[in-house]
This record gives sequence, C-alpha cells and structure tokens, in this order.
Amino acid sequence: MKTILTVFKKELIDTLRDRRTLLTAILMPAIFIPVLLYGMTKLTSIIMEKEENKKLKIAMLDAPAEFISKLDTAKFELVSGMTLESGRDQILADSLDAMVGFPSNYVSKMAEMKTSKVNVWFKSTNLLVKDRMTELIDDFENDILDQRIAALEITKDAIYPIDLLRFNIASPKEQIGQTVGGFLPYIFIIFCFMGCMYPALDLITGEKERGTIETLLTVPASKFNILLGKVFTIALVGLSAAVMTIIGLFLATKFLPDLPEDILESLSAIVGWKFIAMLFAMLIPMAIFFAGVISAMIVRAKSFKEAQSIVTPVSFIVIVPALVAVLPGIELNWTTVMIPILNVALATKEIVAGTIQPAYYIVVVVSLIILALISVAISYRQFSKESMIL
Amino acid sequence: MINVQNVSKTYSLNKQQKKELQTTANSINAVNGISFECLPGRIYSLLGPNGAGKTTTLRMIATILKPTSGEIKVCGENVTSSPNLVRSKIGFLTGSTNLYDRLTPGETVEYFAKLHGMDKKHYEERKDMLFTTMGIHDFSKKRIAQMSTGMKQKVSIARSMIHDPEVVIFDEPTSGLDVITANNIIDLIRKCKEEGKTVIFSSHIMSEVDLLCDDLAIISKGDLVFKDTMDNFRKEFSGISLTQAFIQVVENADHNQKVETP
Repeated sequence: MKTILTVFKKELIDTLRDRRTLLTAILMPAIFIPVLLYGMTKLTSIIMEKEENKKLKIAMLDAPAEFISKLDTAKFELVSGMTLESGRDQILADSLDAMVGFPSNYVSKMAEMKTSKVNVWFKSTNLLVKDRMTELIDDFENDILDQRIAALEITKDAIYPIDLLRFNIASPKEQIGQTVGGFLPYIFIIFCFMGCMYPALDLITGEKERGTIETLLTVPASKFNILLGKVFTIALVGLSAAVMTIIGLFLATKFLPDLPEDILESLSAIVGWKFIAMLFAMLIPMAIFFAGVISAMIVRAKSFKEAQSIVTPVSFIVIVPALVAVLPGIELNWTTVMIPILNVALATKEIVAGTIQPAYYIVVVVSLIILALISVAISYRQFSKESMIL
Repeated sequence: MINVQNVSKTYSLNKQQKKELQTTANSINAVNGISFECLPGRIYSLLGPNGAGKTTTLRMIATILKPTSGEIKVCGENVTSSPNLVRSKIGFLTGSTNLYDRLTPGETVEYFAKLHGMDKKHYEERKDMLFTTMGIHDFSKKRIAQMSTGMKQKVSIARSMIHDPEVVIFDEPTSGLDVITANNIIDLIRKCKEEGKTVIFSSHIMSEVDLLCDDLAIISKGDLVFKDTMDNFRKEFSGISLTQAFIQVVENADHNQKVETP
C-alpha cells in the first residue's frame, strides 16, 4: 500500500507539471464544452435571426394578381422578367432566392374548386428559404380555403373534423434525460478516455523512452504495486477530465440564451448528491478500466509515437458505443446493460431522467468493476514480461 | 558479494527481431553459462565488445532480467527467489542519467528513498551527506529538465546511492559523459571500494579499467573468454597495450568459436 501511495503521489506531481496533460485533461473539457455549447447556440440564433429578417428576392411565373398583392414588400423583393430557365440559373448563381410558378390552368382549377399545382424552385443550401416560401403559399392557400368555405356556406369544423390536442406528460427531468442525458455521457466518456490516454503515454511509454524504467525495476517494490500506482494516477486524470466535462456542461447551461426557466430549474434539481454519487460509482471503475486497457496496450511500445499509433484507433472504438446511446430507441435492458461504455451512457441518460431501475444500475456498476479488475490484471501480465518493458 | 554460477540467458525472438537479426532461429543466447565472483572491497570489471552480453549480465544481477538457467547470489540472496532482498542491497547506475525531467533532485531522491522503505531520519541524513558531498544543495530546488548533464549525473548518483547499497552495479557509467563528469563517476567508484562495497562495472574503455579494477572478466558473444585479476592480466599480456590485449583475447575467442562450430 505504501509503495502504491508513493508511486501515485510522485506520478501525480509529475503529471500535474506536464502542460500537455493539463491542457488535454483539465482545461480542454472545462473550457471546450461551455465555449462549444454557448458559442454554437449564440451563433445559430444570430444566423437564424439574420436569415428570418433577410429580404428574399423572388421571381414569379404566371402568378395571379391576388397572390402578388399578398406579398409583404418588407420581407420579399419581387424580381420581374424571369423565365423558367433564367430563374433557375439565377437561383443556382445565388442572385435569386426562389421562384414561384403557377400553371396556365390555375384560374380554371380555382373556379372549379379543384386543386392546382404550384411550383417553388429554391436551393436547399440557403437556410430558411424553403420554410419562408412554404409559409407564403400556406397563407395564400388559407385565404382560398376561407373563400371556398364561405362560398359553400359551411363552417371550418366541417373541413377539420378532428381537433388534435397533444399533452406531453413527461416531466422536464425526463425530457432533459432524452436530450442532455444522451449528449452528456457521449462527451464525458470521450474526454475520460482522452484524459487517461495522455498520462498513460507519459507514465508507461515515457518511462521506457527516458530509460527510467530500468532504475525503477531495481527498487525493492513489486511490479504490481508500481503498476497500480501508475494506473490509479492515469485513472484519476481521466476521472478529472470527465468531471470537468460535466461541470463545464452544467456551467454552460446556466449561460445559454433562451433556455426556458423550468429546464434550468430541472437541471439544478438533477445535480444533487444522489446524481453525483451514482455517476461517480460508474465513472471510477470506468476510468480504471480505461487506464488498465490503455496501459496494457502501450506497454510494448518503445516510443511515444508508437504508443500513440496503437492507442489512437481505440478512441474510435470508444466513441461508437457512446454515440449509439444517443440514437432514439436504444434503451437500457438486459442486453445493453452488459455492453461496456454503452451501458454507462444509457445508465447516465436514465439517471438524469430519473427512470433508472436499481437492478440495471447495480449490474452496470458491478460489470464495470469486473472489467476494471480484468484490465488491470491484463496490464500487470504485460508489465511483468521482460520483453514488454525493456 | 556477487556470485554468478553457470548463468545463461536466452531471449525468444519475434518475427520483427528475426528479420532485424537476419536469422531463422526462434531464440538467441545472450549469455552462455558464465561464472564469476565479485568480492567486497574490490572492483570487478566486465569487458566486452558491443552486444557481447555485458548489460544482460548486469541486468540479471540487478534482478531486472531473470536468468534462463544457473544461479546468481547477491550478498547470499538469490536473485530469482528473493529479488526484493537483492534489490534492497544494490545500487544501479548507467551512463545515461535516466531521470524524471519534471521533478527536482530532492523529489527524485525522496521518491527512491521511499521505494527503498527508508525511514525519514535515515533518509534525511543520507540525503544531506550525498547532496553536500556532490554539491547538489545549490540546485536541489531546480527541475531536472533545466539542468546540465553534469548536474543530472550527480542527481543520478545520489538517487542510486541514497539507500547506502552494499553492492553497486555500474553499466557503462561514463559512456557519453564529458571528462569532468566521467571523472566524478570514477571518484565515486573508488569511494565505493574504500567503503568496502562490492563494485561491478561494465566498460570498453581500457584506460578506466586499468585505473580502477582489481579483477576482470571478458565476455564475447555471450561466453566468458577470460577471467582473472587485473595484475595477472597485465602479466599475461606484458609488452602489449591493454587495448591490444583485449582485442587479442576477443579475436582468439571468436576464432575458437568458429573452429568449434564450423
């Protein structure tokens, strides 16, 4: 135990003095998430506002006078003298936003109270153009509908027999579980893995590259205790990265623009002692599992470069199950509960939503502890081989 | 005291190693049944060309590698069955300083003292003595990355000697060092001898060997091809330089090996 603590303390001091590890494991997750969330939300709202207020340049082909008169000149600028070909060319060249074309039989179809086709040409790459044009046509269609209802002397109820009312009875907590709950584990699992990766490269491969491993193996301490001291340091940095990610995410939500009050209140309610304790009970064995796996994989590497080339592809393997958890329809059950990483992501989602079943949660934690022990045992086996460490 | 009895070390080769060594053999013998004894208060030198098996032998004595066969005892303790007892009695030093760049000398030495299980009082006394003798106090708070090679070598020595080992193993301790730093190492080896420690060191610098050692062994291609006192070696090859004598021993051994395995 004394050896483990000695190695742990030394490795922690050494790691905390490494700027690269600090940047990747602590600063990046703490700053990256708030900046990403706040920045993206702000940027999106600015772009959307700009697009909504932009005066759209539109052309019309054979448009009836009542449609042209309905055009709000503050929102639309009518470009005249267009043919089908020139209009399409100008849309492609971005000098025209959209074009509306009415068929030659439009007037007769309307007179016969029949459906007429109306064509709209636009480029999907131009944000909101399609929505704004649909809104314009819908308004015009509603006017025609009102005229037909009046002419037929019927009420609107005759046309709309069903008035659909939707009641979402999911609590704000459950709604957050679906959104934040899916995104949160995806981010903290990746940062936890990256947080383990950099100190592992330094503490395992770095020891070989510097030649310090030789001297370390001549001290009267077991290789197992030396390895445990290293694995615990690696896991602690990974855990810190995950925690910093979570803190960053919750801080970011506090400053997000236009976030409803009830969502904010629910977020504050989620971050209680129970949530923290349940999350830590999964994060600790997961970080040790990552530390053990990475250590076992890079023990044979003779240089940083070689170790990086071994461990980088694994980060993609970690991303996949974390990403799967975000997909709709993927839930915690007796199958998914046994899949490493995916089970952590799904369990986190349900903890946030407050719908986690105790039996599932216990299996997730126990399976993570077993995996952590197996990974440490494998890394010790590798670390014990002469050919691996020299 | 170090007792090496009929020790061999075989490395199994993977595909990559076979390719590098241009061989089809599944294993390679780094050391073949060597035996020698190093006594307290004497300096034993292990000589040999590059790849002869010197480092492998020293690593086996230092418990870093396990012998494939044979027996090594350090101060009466077997390196295979009681590695931790052996480790508590040895100090290991190489020419490359092998230190942690982000630690200070104080932190480095304290780390190794704790791993050797030293109590605080004994550690403080030893540290103070070593730091004073080698003038480390002046830069003890500086991080190792900011130090010169000479300073680093001093810290490396303090780290290896902090637990006052009975046996000191030097693996090419002066290789790549400047004259002044190399001289510090030579002084240290002499001091260890004066203190009655058992000293073994590997080298291929004959002037160092001539200056320091009492006994010597020459290894070539894993075989022990010469073993005697330094005085007897000088007598046997009087009239030629020590370097020429060394080359002659190695070349004769190579010739004999070729005759034995045509």
